[in-house]
Amino acid sequence: MTYFELKKIFLKPVSRIVLTILAVSLCVVSYFAIGYVDYVDENGNNTIGIAAASALRDEKNKWAGYITDDVLRKVLQENALINNSKEYLSKDVTENNKAYSKKQGFSDIRDMINRAFGSFQSYNYYRADSVTQEEISSFYDRRTANLVEWLKSDEQENRYSEQEQQFLIAQYEKLKKPFYYEYADGWAALLEYAPSIIMLVVLTTGFLAAGIFSDEFQLKADSVFFSAKLGRDKAVAAKIKAGFIVVTSIYWITVVLYSGIILTVLGFGGAGCAIQNGFSNWKAFYNITYLQDYLLTVLGGYLGNLFILFLSMFASAKTHSKALAVSIPFILLFIPSFLSGISVLSEVLGLLPDQLLQVYTAVKTFNLYQIGDRVVGAVPIILTMYFILFCILLPLLYQVYRKTEIK
Amino acid sequence: MKLVLDNLTKGFGEFVAVDHINLTMTNGIYGLLGVNGAGKTTLMRMLCTLLKPTGGSIYCNGKDIFEMDGEYRNLVGYLPQDFGFYPEFTVKDYLFYIAAIKGVRPAVARKRTNELITKVGLAKAADKKLKKLSGGMKRRVGIAQAMLNNPKILILDEPTAGLDPNERIRFRNLISGLSEERLVLLSTHIVSDIEYTANEILMMKDGAIVNKGTLDEITNTMPEKVWQCPVPQQEVSSITKRYKVSNIKTDRHSVDLRVISAEKPCETAVCVSPSLEDVFLYYFGEKAGDDNDVL
Ligand SMILES: Nc1ncnc2c1ncn2[C@@H]1O[C@H](COP(=O)(O)OP(=O)(O)OP(=O)(O)O)[C@@H](O)[C@H]1O
Ligand SMILES: [Mg+2]
Repeated sequence: MTYFELKKIFLKPVSRIVLTILAVSLCVVSYFAIGYVDYVDENGNNTIGIAAASALRDEKNKWAGYITDDVLRKVLQENALINNSKEYLSKDVTENNKAYSKKQGFSDIRDMINRAFGSFQSYNYYRADSVTQEEISSFYDRRTANLVEWLKSDEQENRYSEQEQQFLIAQYEKLKKPFYYEYADGWAALLEYAPSIIMLVVLTTGFLAAGIFSDEFQLKADSVFFSAKLGRDKAVAAKIKAGFIVVTSIYWITVVLYSGIILTVLGFGGAGCAIQNGFSNWKAFYNITYLQDYLLTVLGGYLGNLFILFLSMFASAKTHSKALAVSIPFILLFIPSFLSGISVLSEVLGLLPDQLLQVYTAVKTFNLYQIGDRVVGAVPIILTMYFILFCILLPLLYQVYRKTEIK
Repeated sequence: MKLVLDNLTKGFGEFVAVDHINLTMTNGIYGLLGVNGAGKTTLMRMLCTLLKPTGGSIYCNGKDIFEMDGEYRNLVGYLPQDFGFYPEFTVKDYLFYIAAIKGVRPAVARKRTNELITKVGLAKAADKKLKKLSGGMKRRVGIAQAMLNNPKILILDEPTAGLDPNERIRFRNLISGLSEERLVLLSTHIVSDIEYTANEILMMKDGAIVNKGTLDEITNTMPEKVWQCPVPQQEVSSITKRYKVSNIKTDRHSVDLRVISAEKPCETAVCVSPSLEDVFLYYFGEKAGDDNDVL
C-alpha cells in the first residue's frame, strides 16, 4: 500500500517540476556556498573553487594549533610587517590585494583580535592594526569583558535577569582556552548556507506532501478509499508512512548531496574546532564544535521538516484543502521573518518552528528562557518541544483522517 | 446476506435527506428509483459507512454495520456516483491498489484483477493511464474496482449515468451477470436500466421509500389507469394541461398520447396495462404543463 501511495505522489507531473526546482536550487546554493570561500593569490587575483580552497587551507594551516599568547603576538608582528610593505601602502587596489594575500593565513585569528578588542555590538576591521603586544595577553579575557559590558549597558539593562546574565557569563568562561585553530572554512561555508537549503527542502517537499491526504477528496477517490476494508486503518497508516518516507528521503538526499559537494570542494578539516574560532560565531554562547553545530543544524532541520510538513498534512486531512496544506510551510517560514524586526517578540520568535530550519542562526542568537530555576538557550527547547509535538501530531493525524465522513 | 434498515434517518441541519426508512434486503438486484435529490446517494453512503446516520441503524445479518467496521466493509463493493481515481495510474495499478486497501492478498488480487479486466472488457486498455480512458471505460473500471473483493453487497450509484445507449445495454448485462449470490443495490433515474433486471424496485421520493415491489406488483398496484388515446393534433395541448402524459407519439395525421388518469381522458381512449415508466411518472411527475423531462 505504501508503495502505491508513493507512486501516487511521484507520478504527478507537479512532483517532477518540484524536484527539478529543488535540484536546480541545490546547485545554486552550493555555488554560493563554494563562493563563500575565496582565495587571493600572490598576484592579487581573487579565485574560488577546489584549487583556491586548497591553497587557502595550506595558508591557514600554517597557523594551525592552539592560539596562545605567542601565536597572537606573532600574528600582530606579521600583520604590522605587511602593513608597512609597499604593496599595502600603495594606492593601487591590485597591490593592496597582494598585501592581503599574505594576510590570509592568519586572517581568522586577526578577525578574532578585531572582535576581542572592539566592542560587543560593533566590528572594526582595522582594530587589530592598533593592538599592542602588551594588550594582546588579555585576548581571552576581553571576550567575557565585552559581554559583561554589553549586559550592563543601558539598552540591555532589563533584557536579562541576574540569573540569565550569570548563565551567559558562565558559558563564556566555560569555553576551553586557548582555542584550537585550523582551517575550517569548509564547515563554515557549509553551515552558512545550510538554512537556505533546508528551507528550500521544506517548501518544495510541501508540494508533494500536501496531496497525500487531500488528493483523495480533490480527485473524488475518497468514497472508494473510505469504503474499503482497510480504508480507515491500515490504508491511513500507509499514507502516514508514505509521508514520512517522502519527507525523510528528500531531506536527507538533499542534505547529504549538499554537504558532500561543499566539503569535498572546500575541505573536511576543522570539524573539531570550536565554532567561536573565526569571524562568524565569536560571540555564540553555545560551546560546541563545527561538527556539533553541523549535526544540530541538520538534525534540527530534519525535525523541522517533519513537524512543519506533518502539520501541513494534518491541516489538509482536517480541512480537505490542498491549498492550505501547500501554504502552511510558507506561512510558518515567512511570517516570522516579517516580524523579526520587532524586538519584544524576539523570545517568542526564537521558539517558532522556522528556527528548527536554521539552528545555525539560532546558535548565534541571544534568546534565553527560564525553566524552573534553570536558564537555557532556545536550541535545546525547540528540539525537545517540537519532537514532542511531532509525536503528538502523528496519532492525531491518524485519528482525524480515519474518521472522515463523505458529505 | 441480509441488510435491515431500521428507521434510518439522515439530516443535514434542518433538512432531512433520508427520512425514517425501514427496509429489509436480501440477495438479488434492488433498483432504487428516484428523481434528483431524492436521497439515493445519501442512503447509499450510509450503507457504505461513509456517512453516519442521524437516526436509526443498519444491521447486516443482525449486527450494526458501524460496529462491524472493517469486517462489514470487507463485504461491500461500492461504485460512487462521482467516481474519481488517480489519473496517473494505469488500470492495472489502480486495481492493484484498490485490492490492497480492500485487504485482498496480492496473489488473489492479481488473479481477480486479470479476471475482472477481461470480464468488463478492458483487456486492451489494462496498461493505459486512467486519465486517457473514455467515460464508459472509466465506469467499467469503477465496476471492476467494486468487484475486487468479491463483495456480498454491491452498491452502485447511478452506474449508467453519462453512458451511450449501447454502453448502457452492455452495462445492464454485466450487472445482471454479477448478481448471483449477492445483494446488488443500484440507483438510477433511468427506468429502463432496471425495468427488467431488478428483482425488486424501490421508489424513493423526498427521503422516503414511497413504493416497492417486483415490476408486476408495482405496475399492478398503480392507483390510476393508463390510457392510450389517439387524438387530433389540435386537442393535444388541452389534454396535456389536464393530465399527466407519459408519452407523445406523433403520426402524420394524428397524435398518440399515453395518459395517466383515474377516469377516461377522451372518447377514443383505450385502457392499457401500465409500464414502470408510467408508474415513475405517476409518483414523481409534476402535473403536466410544467416542464418535465419526458423519460
Ligand atoms: N452534505 C450535504 N449537506 C447538505 N445537504 C445535502 C448534503 N448532501 C446531500 N444533501 C441534500 O440531500 C438531498 C439528497 O441528496 P442525494 O445526493 O442523496 O440525492 P440523490 O437522490 O442522490 O440525487 P441525484 O439523483 O441528483 O444524485 C438533496 O436535496 C441534497 O441537496
Ligand atoms: Mg445521487
